Amino acid sequence: MTDYTPRTLDTLRIADDDLRAVLEGRRHLLFDGGMGTMLQAAGLAAGELPELLCLTNPDEIRAVHTAYVEAGAEVVTTNTFGANARKLGDAATVEDVFCAAVRCARDAGARYVAGDIGPTGALLAPLGTLTFDEAYELFAQQVRAAVAAGVDLIVIETMTDLAEVRAAVLAAKEHADLPIFATMTFEADGRTFLGTPPEVAAATLDALGADVVGINCSLGPAELAPFARRMVASTAKPVMVQANAGLPKVRDGKTVYDIDPATYAAGVQAMVEGGVGVIGGCCGTTPAYIRLLADIVRDRVPAAHPAAGALTVASAQTLVALPEAERRVAVIGERINPTGKKRLQAALREGDIDYVIGQGISQQEQGADILDVNVGLPGIDEPAVLARVCEQLSAATVLPLQIDSTDPAAIERAVRRYAGKPIINSVNGKRESLDAILPIAAHYGANIIGLTLDEDGIPDTAQARFAIAQRIVDEAARYGIGPDRILIDCLVMTASTNQAQALEILRAVTMCRERLGVHCALGVSNISFGLPARELMNATFLAAAFGAGLDAPIMNPGSARYMDAVRAFRVLNMEDAGSVAYIERYATWADPYKGHPANTAQAAGDTIAADAGDPIRHLILTGKKDEMAAATERLLATCDPMDLINDHLIPALDEVGELFDKGAYFLPQLMASAECARVGFDTIRRLMPASDIASKGSICLATVKGDIHDIGKNIVKMLLDNYGYTVFDLGRDVDPQAIVDEVRARGVELVGLSALMTTTVPAMEQTIDLLHEQVPGVKVVVGGAVLTPEYASQIGADYYAKDAAETARIAEELFGADA
Amino acid sequence: MCTVPEALQAPVPYQPDAAQRPAIDRAEVLRYLGYAGQHIDEELAGRIERIVAELEHEVAPRGVRRVFAVDATGTDAAGDPCIRLVGTTVELRGRDVFRHLKDARCCALVAATLGMASERRLRLLARQNPLDAAILDAAGSAYIEAAVDEMDAAVGNAAQEAGLTRNWRFSCGYGDCPLAAQDAIVAALDATRRIGLTVTDSHLLLPAKSVTAMVGLFDGDAHAADTRPSCAICRLAGSCSFRARGTTCYAGT
Repeated sequence: MTDYTPRTLDTLRIADDDLRAVLEGRRHLLFDGGMGTMLQAAGLAAGELPELLCLTNPDEIRAVHTAYVEAGAEVVTTNTFGANARKLGDAATVEDVFCAAVRCARDAGARYVAGDIGPTGALLAPLGTLTFDEAYELFAQQVRAAVAAGVDLIVIETMTDLAEVRAAVLAAKEHADLPIFATMTFEADGRTFLGTPPEVAAATLDALGADVVGINCSLGPAELAPFARRMVASTAKPVMVQANAGLPKVRDGKTVYDIDPATYAAGVQAMVEGGVGVIGGCCGTTPAYIRLLADIVRDRVPAAHPAAGALTVASAQTLVALPEAERRVAVIGERINPTGKKRLQAALREGDIDYVIGQGISQQEQGADILDVNVGLPGIDEPAVLARVCEQLSAATVLPLQIDSTDPAAIERAVRRYAGKPIINSVNGKRESLDAILPIAAHYGANIIGLTLDEDGIPDTAQARFAIAQRIVDEAARYGIGPDRILIDCLVMTASTNQAQALEILRAVTMCRERLGVHCALGVSNISFGLPARELMNATFLAAAFGAGLDAPIMNPGSARYMDAVRAFRVLNMEDAGSVAYIERYATWADPYKGHPANTAQAAGDTIAADAGDPIRHLILTGKKDEMAAATERLLATCDPMDLINDHLIPALDEVGELFDKGAYFLPQLMASAECARVGFDTIRRLMPASDIASKGSICLATVKGDIHDIGKNIVKMLLDNYGYTVFDLGRDVDPQAIVDEVRARGVELVGLSALMTTTVPAMEQTIDLLHEQVPGVKVVVGGAVLTPEYASQIGADYYAKDAAETARIAEELFGADA
Repeated sequence: MCTVPEALQAPVPYQPDAAQRPAIDRAEVLRYLGYAGQHIDEELAGRIERIVAELEHEVAPRGVRRVFAVDATGTDAAGDPCIRLVGTTVELRGRDVFRHLKDARCCALVAATLGMASERRLRLLARQNPLDAAILDAAGSAYIEAAVDEMDAAVGNAAQEAGLTRNWRFSCGYGDCPLAAQDAIVAALDATRRIGLTVTDSHLLLPAKSVTAMVGLFDGDAHAADTRPSCAICRLAGSCSFRARGTTCYAGT
């Protein structure tokens, strides 16, 4: 991206000066109203693709457009909402539909023609099955078709998924040089169906490059007004609203909507007075509504609305804002970084994404506001793993991400697909770094962390650090990245070796904040390397850094001591208004300096000691996991780990399996026992070198292509884990070839496949055939509600398991025979 | 050609507020979890209750229903008789749904979902805590059933006011009715836009805790009452774990 030219109004092809004035917020613009409403009134079937009418009944479509033009609409929206390859199927090509649709709009005398793009209709990964790249391709094809057909602008609308609207805006940005209007649809609770609030939509789409952002559909103008206000406060770009005319009713054989044109117009008028610049109608509106809207904006100049004045970081659900006018603190959790963390390294190498995600979830619970994500390890495919971890973290937590890598390719792949407005960690003062990272941040609308180092290393003085920061800020400005998207990290040096620098660093923080208008981050814990009582040193430095102007400490939120300092400072900076949160948390706090000899471990030990017989067996049978770690630890003092597993854990699990078989236990009891055994295994792994615990064999699990049900598979995984197998869980909706590749790469001997629907059993059969053909010797066990032993053998499976306990028995049989 | 009484023509949203949400039947949750009278200790009982109560508190089911006229006179691409819903692209194949709707004047399409928040929660727990996930899955199934029951009752009331009778609620996947019809049903109800319901390429509903259903409405006596859910038309009857425990996957006997 070395020759990158940032997108501005000057790089766009804008139809005329009036449209340019609209994009600059100096002129109102009036769109048309509902198309579906008009077509259904004319007899279109519900669920039929209205886009095809552009080809079959162009006169009707043109008549609708003409009616809106006559009512005063300046922009005519093409009848192409669902004209993507996925929805059109074999009925027509995307190109033909757009071509015909634009002709209908032009022939109606439209001043501007907006190429309309709606959702794909499929849910995107990770919750759904359509990948970001597939969605992007669908949109790119529509954009190219719209451009070829000669539209004046692109309007992307009725979006509920931030990932999907990002894919569409990117496609528009990368395949057209036309203005982009993007709107999302919010429910009465102020969020889209996928949980995105208006602020997040505005901040993310604005940074990504939409020229107008807004709201359409779902509700009437009065109900959308508060959401419009929140958007206006979150972006300096023009805000657009196209509300519904309420809910449909049938009267005298005709569908009418319950908000009449006059009431509707009054609602829109209020929004226009509140700063909304671009208006139009959505479901239920007709030319009668648009005619009244034309009166509102005729000869009116939009109210200016100031820039938001904050650094904003967003996930699809959460906005973290660091306003310029007030001091706020955002904690960036640093735990997803393999440096010095053996367990995380192993998880990343084995593809155990669940462990990595668990690290994100626990930091969210501990109070982190943003999660740093770094998966850099020698020998792993960092771009692929980073993107995958970011995607999964986005589904599992609500926190915005800070994407952390030294590899620009890894950063770009993750940032491109990230559903939100992330931080890139990091760019520095080296020419090579600036040239590689700033174009990525500019293109995808990301924030950046700028490190104060350059070709000469990290300078010693505050002044020299500031000078590098200044250079980064100036260089970023050339890419259109303002100080409101920059966090400067003045780089903490270890006090034990660079003692004189501690205060210089803090001085540099103050200088950057005050003179550059940027925010500041710091990796706090570096200060204490080589010193005892590191948490004491770190917490003290953290407090001092807050005083100097630190906004975003990069730290371990699992340290109560650091979080105590954060919560206390949030009183001092007025963030915790009235000290409410502080009082709630600390009113009955047991101050650790006062000394409270807690002895809960001993107490727990006593209850177990009172139990006669094998405490491990007892705990597993009763599913009491809270006491399991202590009991395992005690037994390990006198017992070899493998003996503990083979003579205590496994027999107890077998016993539970039998009780489940007999119906004496039901599913949650089986799982509670497995959970408890899991604590035992984890304790052994934690305390014993890995070499002492042999894996009993490797097993791959997957729910087959097309199937999204994985509860059963997850139960099987849980049980097999506890029997000591290495389990690779490939997830759900997994392509047959992906399963084969993984099985081969990992040297797996047993594959478990699950399918819950009759319709997905063919995919299971295909996977089995492919496995037997390409990996001779591998055994396949299948399960799932629709399978029977006969059906299983018919499709070529080696084993059929009716439940998780039976899968474990089959594995014991297979791997026992191997040994 | 059959027609839809005017009072039944408009789509009707289902969006109970916090006070009106249906309660989740705890016994139903246990039944989905395979419960058959085992002793449940306090800890497990508390865990189940916590998850069920949290779901009731945090997730609001949503739905939409709409009535369409039935055309049973056509044939499908294979030349077999099929049901079409007038003014939609819905074409229902298979003998079982044909019997369900062939004598009906119209058909109420119903769609309900627990929404993306429940889906996200389920996906998260599936990775981090399989036992809680299994409980939430069962609770979600019971919850969406309860929501559809309410919508189903509302269909009955509306039909009665319009002077029509009704038969049972039937879904794609029952008997020989293919899942492929889900796409057109969701489109006919505009359910993606109205309630956030999507269909995968393999015709499964996403969010997973979602249901679509069809209720036949009749002039005079309801026909095909025997197409109510029963093991008789279920292809899984031979290997069903509910039946193995002496119960069924549907309520009642």
